[in-house]
Amino acid sequence: MSIHSKGFGPLSRRGLLQFMAVGTGAAGLAACSSQGTANTNPSSAPSAGGQTIGSSEAKDFSFASWSISEEAAKPVITGQLEKFGADKGIQISPVSYPFNEYLNQLTLQVRGGQFSGAMQLDIAWLATMSALGKLRDLSSYAEGRGYTEAGLSVGQVDGVQNGLPWTMGAIGLVANAELLQKVGADSVPSSIEDFEALLRELKGLGNGTIPYAASTKVAQLKDVQVWMQTFGCSLVENGEVTIGDEASIEAVTWYKKLYDEGLIGADVDRFDARSLFSQGKAAIYDDAPVGRAGVVADSPDPELASKLLPASRPVLNSGDAPRALAWGHVVAVVEGEAADTASEFAQWLTSDEETVVAYFEALGLPPTTEEGLAADAVKSDTFIADFSERITATAQPSPFWVYPQYGQIDTAISEQVQAVLVGQSSPADAMAAAREAATALIS
Amino acid sequence: MKLGDGAFALLLTLPGFALLCAVVVYPLVSALVSAFFEESLLYPGRDFVGLDNITAVLSGDFLRLLGQTMTFTVGTTLLPFIIGFGLALALNTKIKGAKALRGLMLIPWLVPGVVVSFLWMWIFNANYGVLNALLEGLGAIGAPQAWLAHPDTAMVAVIVAKTWQSFPWMMVMLLAGLQTVPPELYEAAEVDGAGVVRRFASITVPHLRGIIGLVILLEFIWNFQHFDIIYVLTGGGPAGSTHTFATAVYDTAFRGFDLGMAGALGLLWMLLLGILVVLYIHFSEKGEK
Repeated sequence: MSIHSKGFGPLSRRGLLQFMAVGTGAAGLAACSSQGTANTNPSSAPSAGGQTIGSSEAKDFSFASWSISEEAAKPVITGQLEKFGADKGIQISPVSYPFNEYLNQLTLQVRGGQFSGAMQLDIAWLATMSALGKLRDLSSYAEGRGYTEAGLSVGQVDGVQNGLPWTMGAIGLVANAELLQKVGADSVPSSIEDFEALLRELKGLGNGTIPYAASTKVAQLKDVQVWMQTFGCSLVENGEVTIGDEASIEAVTWYKKLYDEGLIGADVDRFDARSLFSQGKAAIYDDAPVGRAGVVADSPDPELASKLLPASRPVLNSGDAPRALAWGHVVAVVEGEAADTASEFAQWLTSDEETVVAYFEALGLPPTTEEGLAADAVKSDTFIADFSERITATAQPSPFWVYPQYGQIDTAISEQVQAVLVGQSSPADAMAAAREAATALIS
Repeated sequence: MKLGDGAFALLLTLPGFALLCAVVVYPLVSALVSAFFEESLLYPGRDFVGLDNITAVLSGDFLRLLGQTMTFTVGTTLLPFIIGFGLALALNTKIKGAKALRGLMLIPWLVPGVVVSFLWMWIFNANYGVLNALLEGLGAIGAPQAWLAHPDTAMVAVIVAKTWQSFPWMMVMLLAGLQTVPPELYEAAEVDGAGVVRRFASITVPHLRGIIGLVILLEFIWNFQHFDIIYVLTGGGPAGSTHTFATAVYDTAFRGFDLGMAGALGLLWMLLLGILVVLYIHFSEKGEK
């Protein structure tokens, strides 16, 4: 039997088998050679990183960052990757997913051995990523770089320096001072009662204005946990979940009231809130300093930057400390062939003074080194100064962050809060269900 | 050594079979096997738990999920069928610009599912959506509605978006069927005094019975496993009211990191899907005969 191959004449059975064997061999060789394609460059001068540790051979690696998906941050970060890459003579491949998908996608890639290199992480995710057992201990890269104590501590899991701090702050209330002035207010009131009254007045402005663009979509409904704390719930105490207590039920009942009265908007996550605030359609929203760059850049109001008013969260009783959720990014490194170079990059990105100050100037993200914080550009930024004084000063990490299942705990609680908002569950039942789900996840 | 024709044919199929095993059989079996283990994406290793995961799924949200999956599947099969059939009948007449219209109506089908989802997300957005602006302009609603954030409207919104994407395929298939009906049959029936409805019921429908059954069954199977539009539009929310088997399996595995429960849910889902596939095979074989 022979097979006629057009243009090549008759192909015998033996020929076809030989052809297949050669093809298989070539594919095998290609697969083997692809494992060794890392670009190694022996002339890796430590010019970009200053103090460097580890291998002298710089190697290509990947850098994962959700910020690369965001318009305001993309040019800044890709510029930094190019600068470090050019100095070292290597290629840094950017890897990016939107914020709400990032942790899941990266977890899958790291677990499956598909990713190695450096990665941006929210401080809330460090324990989750660390549980995979593939993060490098960066203690030696943290030494002598001038990181603040608070910065170093957010990068640690069980005492191991799994991440180098890149930026730190908090998530708190940001208001549009101009809209507040329209209802005769010059600041956000300090009591819940007065805050609610202000929201009603803001609603009276009409024109579709959402007084408080609080998160109501599951993705960012974790914000409601800070309100639970404001009402007196500790969330976790001695390893026991306390959601479901009177305080948490009261907080969710109050949140539902705001929802029903249209004082907070339906179907809003952080990105919707930024968009609404940027367009002047929302008077107050929750955000970290990272939101400022995008909000200002996308606004039709060229003066919006000067109208941003960071505000302390109202308290239940006079004298209570205003609640805020600590926020920040670290850079972690996944073990692999290029882990030394990736660690040098993480160190340079987060502690080189010129780099961190340039990052702050472009995006307004506070540095985590003493030198960076002392830079004129940082000290003279009134928004950051006000934000630090009114919000970051009393910010606390979530007690759930220490659990690798933090993401699932957050989602379980958020889904129950959403069920209350849309009328599918009562606050008491939903909080009891949230406690049960969260307890099952941490036990 | 000489190879017989049968052995040679078998040898030729080996690369394809190996590829099928590597990319379909192995992942499928591996995923289904996880139904019998307690396994997390976060930690290495797994423990055999027998039927515990399946029991947990059945005693949990399974019936609610089945109901929601059926609502979505039936809605996104019947609505596009009705619209597609209506348009196919219209385009089968000698109306002006029928060819151009046929081409234009295919556009929604050509648009990727994720793009369709974003398009409809903007239309249904509670705070700056086109639909709210339109309805408010017409005075039909007094205040913006959160179409995707309310359990009563979210599933309807998802069905509308999927219908918009699917009706062109139904239309094309049915139009192709309509064009095989001999015009003489209609002429003869008209001469015999049959009206439009009678001609439709006695000629069109019987002639298209095979193709109608096939497109409905195929669409039903596809919608039973549909993922992208639901996931992008609502992510299964609000409060889980638009979750189907597809989104629930994804959520359990890749958000909850619980491979065991996801495997159990997937196994039950596949059993139900298997019934539909058997029906399809039976139906298509009957059609061939």
